[in-house]
Amino acid sequence: MRRLLPPRSAFPLTVAAFAFAFLGLFLAWPLYKVLASSFLDAEGARFTLDAYVKVFATGYYRSAVANSLAIGVMTTLACMAIGLPMAFLLARMAIPGRSVLLALSALPLILPSFIGAYAWVLLFGRAGIVTQWLQGLGLPTTTIYGMPGIVMVFTLHSFPYVLLPALAAVRAVDASIEEAGQNLGASRWRVFRTVTVPVIMPAVLAGGLLVFIETLENFGVPFVLAEDMPILAIEAYKLFVGEVGANPAMAGALAMLLVVMAALALLLQRHYLARRRFATVARSAPPVIRTGPLGRWAASAFVWGLVLLALLPFVAIVVVALMKFRGPVLQPEFSLGNFVQLFERAQRPLANTLGLATVAAVGASLIGIPIAYVLTRYRSPIAHALDVLAMVPFAVAGTVLGIGLILAFNSGWLVLTGGWLILVLAWLVRKLPFSVRSGSAILHQIDPTLEEASVNLGRSPSWTFFRLTVPLMLGGIVGGTVLAWVTIVSELSSTVVLYSGPWTTMTVVIFRALEGQGAGTAAAAATVLIVATVVPLALVYRLLRRNNLAVL
Amino acid sequence: MTAVTISRVARTFGAVRAVAGVSIAIEAGELFTLLGPSGCGKTTLLRMVAGFCDLDEGSIHFADRRIDTLPPHRRNTGMVFQNYAIFPNLTVHGNVAYGLSARGVAADDMRGRVERALALVHLPGYGERWPHQLSGGQLQRVALARSLVIEPDVLLLDEPLSNLDAQLRVDMRREIRALQQRLGITAIYVTHDQEEALAISDRIAVMRAGRLEQVGAPAAIYRAPATPFVAEFLGATNLLTGRVAGREDGHLLVDALGRRFRLPAVDAAAGTDVTFSLRPEALQPVTVAVAGAATVAGEIAAAEHLGALLHLEVRLGDGPPLRVAMLDDGAVAPAVGRPVTLAYDPSRITVFPP
Repeated sequence: MRRLLPPRSAFPLTVAAFAFAFLGLFLAWPLYKVLASSFLDAEGARFTLDAYVKVFATGYYRSAVANSLAIGVMTTLACMAIGLPMAFLLARMAIPGRSVLLALSALPLILPSFIGAYAWVLLFGRAGIVTQWLQGLGLPTTTIYGMPGIVMVFTLHSFPYVLLPALAAVRAVDASIEEAGQNLGASRWRVFRTVTVPVIMPAVLAGGLLVFIETLENFGVPFVLAEDMPILAIEAYKLFVGEVGANPAMAGALAMLLVVMAALALLLQRHYLARRRFATVARSAPPVIRTGPLGRWAASAFVWGLVLLALLPFVAIVVVALMKFRGPVLQPEFSLGNFVQLFERAQRPLANTLGLATVAAVGASLIGIPIAYVLTRYRSPIAHALDVLAMVPFAVAGTVLGIGLILAFNSGWLVLTGGWLILVLAWLVRKLPFSVRSGSAILHQIDPTLEEASVNLGRSPSWTFFRLTVPLMLGGIVGGTVLAWVTIVSELSSTVVLYSGPWTTMTVVIFRALEGQGAGTAAAAATVLIVATVVPLALVYRLLRRNNLAVL
Repeated sequence: MTAVTISRVARTFGAVRAVAGVSIAIEAGELFTLLGPSGCGKTTLLRMVAGFCDLDEGSIHFADRRIDTLPPHRRNTGMVFQNYAIFPNLTVHGNVAYGLSARGVAADDMRGRVERALALVHLPGYGERWPHQLSGGQLQRVALARSLVIEPDVLLLDEPLSNLDAQLRVDMRREIRALQQRLGITAIYVTHDQEEALAISDRIAVMRAGRLEQVGAPAAIYRAPATPFVAEFLGATNLLTGRVAGREDGHLLVDALGRRFRLPAVDAAAGTDVTFSLRPEALQPVTVAVAGAATVAGEIAAAEHLGALLHLEVRLGDGPPLRVAMLDDGAVAPAVGRPVTLAYDPSRITVFPP
């Protein structure tokens, strides 16, 4: 008979118990509250399907579902259409400035997407700088609002989700398998079609599904660009916050639709990947493809053009922030006035953002790394269940988690609403999948026999983890924590639901400025966020390259 | 000096019986080798002793103390890993001292013990070096020193030499054996290399599919394999199957490969099939046929000259050729197609009764 508790399970069981308790309280319980609210009637007493019936009976909400799905699918396809060729060109052609390109290509992912959207509006919106300039010249203008604009901004934001894993996959293709194809009589093009693409396709599709999930849950971009078009994540928020009478049941129903759609995509991705592991370790990289100068020019223009197009709005917004505004009108004159104004009004949000993001990022690592350790080193049904649970936040839109946290903690034995802790908890839970995956990636590079040697020499598993494994992981952990911090700083979708009174953040300042006046202050605030993103990244870039970007 | 008693241990991974009810009594101070092809369960068994693999059934004792219920860090075993598992963030001294500080040994006592352990593995004064400055052989010595310095009850070696090149492998195995005997420590050694096992062990357990095939001293197993599997796995052999023709002078007469062989008498009726193992070195070409000696005649099908040794393949009537190994004394001209008579001593043949 197998013993219930093998003699070496105390440490993993402690970690698992803590993780289950934490995620149970701050993820499963809030999600349950959302689910429950969607099935309860107005008095909150009886089970009813009214909310779902109403959602599907209302054309407005039906089109919200359709719009969200359409945007998700189109963005995913666009990202794959851009990411795959880009990865191939970056890996196989002598494109000038390649190392700079590689450093820049992950950046769009990390820069706050809704600031990107805002920058596009600032340039090409109805009162945009470029629009006004074109109108002044009597030239025709095009609109940035609506579906095409949203898909474009999302694509420029998310294509690295496909590019980065595809690039890693292209590089992992050993020269010998392509040479084998050619040796067996296939042409270069045929080898590309029948060997190279199938081998890197799992990576491309995995990235594509990440794009889909991310796009589905994103709140900021459609908020800036959708205008009157209904979008699921926004409608759920509006119904919940409800200026004209909140409806938590219908908000819950929309939220559950979001969760179910993302969860389906996630399951699809896992199911697909489980059967495809083509990872090879490239012993010799395939040779650089030689083309004429025309081919090289075209390839360089394509790759550089896309990366610059994705980054230029951010540069533009920094420039705009440094210029003088008179009301909403931009003056051709440099000034620090916007920043002065921002720091007068928004010192507290700035301090909130930097401080709370630090607490949340460190917390995510403190909880995520031990979980990652248990998942990678101990195979058991408990570890598997923990793995699934720790990935759930991926499928949960920030808006939904925010709604859930409010439903769960605005009364009862633990009241968190109105404080700072609820923001930190939301961010921490949202970043946990990243921390766990980043931790797992680092751990896969550390030989488990080192830990066995330590235990064999008399150190307990927990001592071994904290004093041997963690020091060996340290570089990767620091990199991962900084990356988490950077993304938390520009978090909007859960923040917008959860912020209150003194606990506003920079993203909320920008969010409010979008609704009213103060384009200059918003641009300055956006600049602060951009700086807060780029500077730490540049500082830890060396630590990031190996471990973290691959699991973003 | 600690005896190890493994009693009816079993472990299943999914549908695979990795270890299927194995019992072994290892004597104190013995170097005991688990030998077998990959997937036979030898590493699983070793990891059960170390505590890295849980038992489904059975128990393991060090002397009178039951240890399979202890966590691995309380078992006081010293394990040497195939890939060395040297901590890259610690110096050689830090690596060797690791187990001592886990045991709360005082700093000044520790320094002396680490230095003595390093001297033992011929790395005196290497304490301040970093692992990346050492060669594979040196890393393996550090790993050995690290396991020995804690004075473990049992030394566990998991294919410790498989990452080293051929010559170093031979040197290191001699060194490990000499150290083990000098310190009188009980050791369990896992390998798939039969030559290594024969060279180093007091006793060998040959494993197959999670079970023990045979346990015994190297020479005894080699000379008297209990099963055809052991005969083939341990050293090269000619494994033949023939039909019993009768008995003569206390020998069993068996027809195989179109020839009549004389085998040690076993309980087998005429007309039944028996399998027997005929080692290549038990066959010797003779120029003058000695009356009454056991011989078979054939012709040379292939010859390989390996310096001191000469390997011949000799085709008899039908079937695959017989492998023959002999010292090259120049007496036999290994020309392909040349007829040759092979003499053998029937007592060196192992018969596996039907």
